[in-house]
Amino acid sequence: MTAAVLPFVVGALALAMLLSLLRLLRGPGIADRVLALDTLYVCTLALLVVLGIQWRDGVYFEAALLIGLLGFIGTVALGRYVERGKVIG
Amino acid sequence: MELALSIAIGLLIAAGTWLALRARTFDLVLGLTLLSYAVNLAIFAMGRLAPGKPPLVREGTAGALATHADPLPQALVLTAIVISFAMTALLLAIAVRSRAANRSDHVDGGGGDGA
Amino acid sequence: MTALPLLLALPFVAALALAALPRLSRTAAALVAGAATLGGLALLGGMAGAVADGEVLRFKLDWLPSLGLAFSLRVDGLAWMFAAIVLGIGALVVLYARWYLADEDPPARFFAMLSLFMGAMLGVTLAGNLLLLVVFWELTSISSFLLIGFWHRRADARAGARMALTITGMGGLCLLAGVLLIGRIAGSFELDVVLAAGEAIRAHALYEPALALVLLGAFTKSAQFPFHSWLPHAMAAPTPVSAYLHSATMVKAGVFLIARLHPALAGSEAWFWMVVPVGLATLVVGAALALVQQDLKGLLAYSTISHLGLITLLFGLDTELAVVAGVFHILNHATFKASLFMAAGIIDHETGSRDFRRLNGLWKHMPVTGALAIVASLAMAGVPLLNGFLSKEMFLAETLATESHALMEFLVPAGALVAGIFAVAYSLRFVHDVFFNGEPVGLDRVPHEPPRFMRVPVEVLVVLCLVVGMFPQHTIGPLLALGVQGVLQGPAPEYKLAIWHGFNLPLALSAIGLVGGVALYFGLQRGINLHRIERASTGKRVFDALVRRLVDLARRVTRALENGSLQRYLLLLVLAAVVLGGAPLLEAGPGFGDPPGTPAGIAGWLALALLVAGVLAVLRWYRERLLAVIAVGVVGLAVSLLFVLLSAPDLALTQLLVEVASVLLILLALRFLPQQSPPERRRGRAWLHGVVAGAFGAGVATAVYAVLTRPTRSISDYFLRTTVPEGGGANAVNVIIVDYRGFDTLGEIAVFGIAGLLLHALLRGRAGVPGTLVPPQPARPAFLLQVSAQVLLPLAIAVSLYLFLRGHNAPGGGFIAGLVLALGVALQALAAGREALGAPDGRTWQAWIAWGLVVATLGGIGSFLFGHPFLTSSTPYVDLPLVGAVPFASATVFDTGVYLVVAGATLLMLAMLARVHAQAGDR
Repeated sequence: MTAAVLPFVVGALALAMLLSLLRLLRGPGIADRVLALDTLYVCTLALLVVLGIQWRDGVYFEAALLIGLLGFIGTVALGRYVERGKVIG
Repeated sequence: MELALSIAIGLLIAAGTWLALRARTFDLVLGLTLLSYAVNLAIFAMGRLAPGKPPLVREGTAGALATHADPLPQALVLTAIVISFAMTALLLAIAVRSRAANRSDHVDGGGGDGA
Repeated sequence: MTALPLLLALPFVAALALAALPRLSRTAAALVAGAATLGGLALLGGMAGAVADGEVLRFKLDWLPSLGLAFSLRVDGLAWMFAAIVLGIGALVVLYARWYLADEDPPARFFAMLSLFMGAMLGVTLAGNLLLLVVFWELTSISSFLLIGFWHRRADARAGARMALTITGMGGLCLLAGVLLIGRIAGSFELDVVLAAGEAIRAHALYEPALALVLLGAFTKSAQFPFHSWLPHAMAAPTPVSAYLHSATMVKAGVFLIARLHPALAGSEAWFWMVVPVGLATLVVGAALALVQQDLKGLLAYSTISHLGLITLLFGLDTELAVVAGVFHILNHATFKASLFMAAGIIDHETGSRDFRRLNGLWKHMPVTGALAIVASLAMAGVPLLNGFLSKEMFLAETLATESHALMEFLVPAGALVAGIFAVAYSLRFVHDVFFNGEPVGLDRVPHEPPRFMRVPVEVLVVLCLVVGMFPQHTIGPLLALGVQGVLQGPAPEYKLAIWHGFNLPLALSAIGLVGGVALYFGLQRGINLHRIERASTGKRVFDALVRRLVDLARRVTRALENGSLQRYLLLLVLAAVVLGGAPLLEAGPGFGDPPGTPAGIAGWLALALLVAGVLAVLRWYRERLLAVIAVGVVGLAVSLLFVLLSAPDLALTQLLVEVASVLLILLALRFLPQQSPPERRRGRAWLHGVVAGAFGAGVATAVYAVLTRPTRSISDYFLRTTVPEGGGANAVNVIIVDYRGFDTLGEIAVFGIAGLLLHALLRGRAGVPGTLVPPQPARPAFLLQVSAQVLLPLAIAVSLYLFLRGHNAPGGGFIAGLVLALGVALQALAAGREALGAPDGRTWQAWIAWGLVVATLGGIGSFLFGHPFLTSSTPYVDLPLVGAVPFASATVFDTGVYLVVAGATLLMLAMLARVHAQAGDR
């Protein structure tokens, strides 16, 4: 059951990432692009977990963990920069 | 995948070089970042592409190249990533200082249109 | 055999001691240098018996065995004889210099340099490995440079030193090239092997170039025509230096080399035709020029050139008897020429002048010195009952016996005769013009005899001239035999050391030389008056012109290439890389093999698509800098994903963390930079750059693809096989970083730490940054962020420690864990402000870097405790709750250092960039 579903999940995530990429490229606003990058990161996290399940290898969960733990720092920094012009107050 | 990766590396090199040849410090930083990606990928690829075979030797098995990716380029690239990060940081600091000193972010100092 | 390295070490120890004690008095400094010399002589004396029995003493210490470089010393007859000259004359020169040096000359420095030279020269003579010989050879050039320029305030001393270094240095380079060729031919640089490989060397296709290169080295060192002109200009050196280096020892290094390599290189047509004409020309030119000098030391210098030519010529003639004569003349020339230089120095010392035109009639004022100088001059002229006569007779006999082309059979003895006549004439001038021939002209003091002990070395040498000249067989005989055996690497030929060989042709030539020389000198004095000849040195003019031309050329090239534009340099650099890398690729073709066709899968194509789209977006947006940063983020994510897909979890982790940290740094800096790049003003240039960059990219892509389609031959099987049993870790990448390649990693974290410190140096204090280009908006409190950051910090620390401890067996390790920790702290700063980044001056993180380096080094040294080499891990495991088995290895200590440095330097960078102030206060 799982084995049959996983390729589909991977495909869906890939599609999601391509759409995020499209949003990132087209904008129109800077906030759209920042959010698109963040979505890309989140989708990557999901993709890593799914791939780990598919390959039966937990090695990549740590990468997923790090994206979850620290990946949003870039988004926060970009947001701060756009909003306040200053990343660290 | 070999051909696609090679082309991607070539694209990174070309774009990075072109940006590095621009006259502004920040463009240079962008260019060198792309060049670092390219070089790291190229060195990494020298160990050949081996999906699904991380160089972690499981308990009780013998490690060999047939069952594991080549760890040596990985070790080289790991430190290279960190060093290129340091280089980016240093270049940024120089860019900031250079603009402060020259009132321009032109790589050759003067460059006319100060800003 | 410990005496051998000790013998070589003594002068260097003395030089170091003297350099460390710059305030020593003249006597004390001379005592230190003298003690080393006498100690060396004693050690050398201890070896005499063994060497005389035909033994070859050896000492060998492997240095860089992979390059064939060994620290090997070797003493046979020739080496022993030369070492005896170096140390014997050296002892006399030290004594002489004690009295020669003036109060204002720093004695410790002088004797330190002299000892350094002595050590270098001993090294040349004792070296048992050709590469080692070249090392010491260069050291003699350098110490000679220092000694010629000892009076460094004088322009002529500086110029002379430079000229000597340039010419002998270039010769040294040629010698190195020649030695490399010989080593390649013979298969070893060890002298024993090379000397035994003469047949093979002479038969080799590269024999002639190798010979020419080695000879260039020897000829420049021994001031052979046309490279002779540095020697007269080296006379700006203090006279003890001239007596030691430029008559007795260093200039003999060239002929020593010729003698040393005689068995390996001599015995061919090429040898004869390369060596004999040079020696002959030097012999005649030097003798003729010696006569027309107006400087005492100048005459002696040209005479030395002439005598060196004589010795070279003898070795070139390449008969066993010629070798005997050559070795004999090396000994004799060292004795009489050193004493003459010392006499010239005494005259200079007591009269304040070395000018023939002012020095006349000194016999009345300094009869003892005069008598000594006269005897030595007669030896130089080759007058019977003196040592110079004996070797000169042998020389003349050998020139007459030349067997070669008819022209050479005539030219060689004819040249010898002409040179003989000149030698008598200039020797006579040295005696007559200085000690007689009227009264001194315009001396500012009344000359008198020198201090007692200043004369002693001269007396010793002159007595040697006399004793050897009268009783050769019993005095010099054994030493000469030793030297000859050393040169020939076999038994010496039959020869007779006697004053009287009966009436024969050499004697007749000698007689003609004597009579002709006397006639020539007095004829010239009466006819044109030698004092009137003003002569600038042609060699110096040519040398100066050449140097000027070279400097001009360099300046023109520099001006053409370096117009101050970094942009242009980079373009030239890339162009050069494209051309140099592209040419072989186009010529030989890329040589693609069979594509292995690794499947990319959906995720692979996705990553590649992200990468390409990201790169294109960067190019599209590079002028809108913030957008470009976002696009670069896409590329970075794609690269991380590729690392995941291609089985590099460690790289993926590192790349992800570096991405986040880079975005932070870039945004911190971007505030102080323009937000847009101006449009390209010159479209043509942008297109040109595009073509060059495109070619570069295409070349790299081709090369990478060519490699990927060929079979691999990696050494990594070894790492994978041994990582668990020997490295004690399942993660081969981490084990390579902290163990196999640990030394390299130590260097890399040092670089990383230095980058952090550099950033600190660049941005500390008020860096004078003009106002930010992004007007800051009033900050609203970010409660959500602050709360989540507070929760996340302990979590980040825990994850960091976990990744660190697991790193040896699973993805992680010091680099990754350090970055995680740094980002955890950075998040605090994002939420709560820059105070979270430690002390304002960044000293917290500087301490981390310092301690990290200390810990890493200690971790490396720690492996000594287990009897392993530096940075080799040894691995007992410790079970920790939750984490599992953790290697309690010295590698873990090392990785702790990595962890501290990486975290510290990253945070230092962030802290410094976060603290950049706008000039007019933080608006």
